[in-house]
Amino acid sequence: MSRRRVVVTGIGMISPLGTSAGECWSAMLEGRSQVAAIPPAWKRYTETASTIWAPLPAIDWLAHGFSRVDQMQLDTSGMLTIAASAEAIRDAGIEASSVDPKKNTFRLAVPAPDRCGVFMGTGVGGVTSFFGNAVNHVVSPLKTVVADPSVLPPMPPRFNPFGVPAMMPNAVSALLGIHWSLYGPNLTYAQACAAGTVAVGHAFRAIATGDVDFALCGGAEYLGDPYGGIFRGFDIARTLVAAGDDPQQANRPFDRDRSGFLFAEGGAAVLVCEEAEAARRRGARAYAEIVGYAETFDGHSIMSIEPSGTRIVDMIGAAVRDAGCVPGDIDYVNTHGTGTTVNDEIESAVIDQIFGSKPFVNATKSLTGHCIGASGGIEAAVTALSLAHQTAHACHNLEHPIRDLRFVREAGPCRIDTAITQSFAFGGHNAAVVMKRID
Amino acid sequence: MQDAGIRERVANTIVHVLKVDADLVDSDKRIREDLGSDSLDSVTLVMALEDEFGGSINDNDAKSLTTVGDVVGYISRRVEEKSLV
Repeated sequence: MSRRRVVVTGIGMISPLGTSAGECWSAMLEGRSQVAAIPPAWKRYTETASTIWAPLPAIDWLAHGFSRVDQMQLDTSGMLTIAASAEAIRDAGIEASSVDPKKNTFRLAVPAPDRCGVFMGTGVGGVTSFFGNAVNHVVSPLKTVVADPSVLPPMPPRFNPFGVPAMMPNAVSALLGIHWSLYGPNLTYAQACAAGTVAVGHAFRAIATGDVDFALCGGAEYLGDPYGGIFRGFDIARTLVAAGDDPQQANRPFDRDRSGFLFAEGGAAVLVCEEAEAARRRGARAYAEIVGYAETFDGHSIMSIEPSGTRIVDMIGAAVRDAGCVPGDIDYVNTHGTGTTVNDEIESAVIDQIFGSKPFVNATKSLTGHCIGASGGIEAAVTALSLAHQTAHACHNLEHPIRDLRFVREAGPCRIDTAITQSFAFGGHNAAVVMKRID
Repeated sequence: MQDAGIRERVANTIVHVLKVDADLVDSDKRIREDLGSDSLDSVTLVMALEDEFGGSINDNDAKSLTTVGDVVGYISRRVEEKSLV
């Protein structure tokens, strides 16, 4: 069977920049990032080297269709995922009809739900729900034995009986399959910061090879536990950005004065991907065509990128070949671009080696912060939007580039025919998706 | 004595969790057999009642509640004892 063509027909996104793809994209083009001091409550437990993060905007979960009971049962990562998928499905122009009001489930107007897959990435799934239940479990017995219970940390009012389904990482995929009644492959990828990119790549392959006709794919993450424990984990690994004199300018990927990545509270991006001919028949508008994917593994260190970048070079080369392209065809590189000293040094050298200074080079994390397992999905969505609108956001706060690459310095019109979006992860996972403009 | 406000709050919580018509939620209705609550719904209902009335309902108490009237009576007693809000 010859490889089938795959198009992106719907996008949904929630990030620190907004609660819809439109809000996020507008903020990116206007260079509005979201940087704030970490919650004061976290300082009760420890002092951290980094003191800033990118919080999510206030989200009206009731308006997104989540009752109070839903909110008690679901981890925030699950609600982010469902909300982003609902936007993506609306955006794709696919009707959804109610199946069971009690379970809040729907059926999509797609020809064959058993040929519709879900491919989602997440770094840590429902870890904040685990945190809450663990604290409740450990601290509740102390309430009756300590003289002053007010010294105990705040905790959820009950041990959540839905703690296990809230915690399990596959919930982000399972919830979409349940919510939208999709019965094809339902997979969760846990390649840390590359998880979303891996998920989109595997959705592309599943449609291209004929395993499925339709896929919801992307990434989701929620990291805002009430105690700052997840933040501390990244902080103690010395990966996070220093606030500096001006916290608004602290997050600066590929800049000489970068100091680490900006920890994001969370986010989710879901892309609707379809077999191109089926999408054309139903009159769908397409943002971009996905044309290639590849992944490699460093085999080097659980926490640090392999210094020579050899496996990243191999991976990008394979993705470009998979797209039927040569490096000179690539016009736009949506980088992993975290703002850590090591990542940006190696990634910029790799881009220079493979592509030289021809393509535009961008770092979406300069605006969103690092949404970990959601970031690959968000950046795939941003790459598709950039191709559709022939417009790029700027590499925010970049003043002194560390290498002579064609960084996007100002948001605006940008001729892009072929783009690559790439991610690298703790563990050593490297992945990239190649997309083309729709003619 | 049962407070009409408590009856209404319990009924609303049952309607919300079980997605049943409010007219069906009479005192003598059995939550499982008559209102279609399965085991997951029962867990959810207890959690929603805890949320509504601000306190903890232990498993043994929860298992003893068969009808809507049982729930209203139990909650009323707990509120009277001030062990629920």
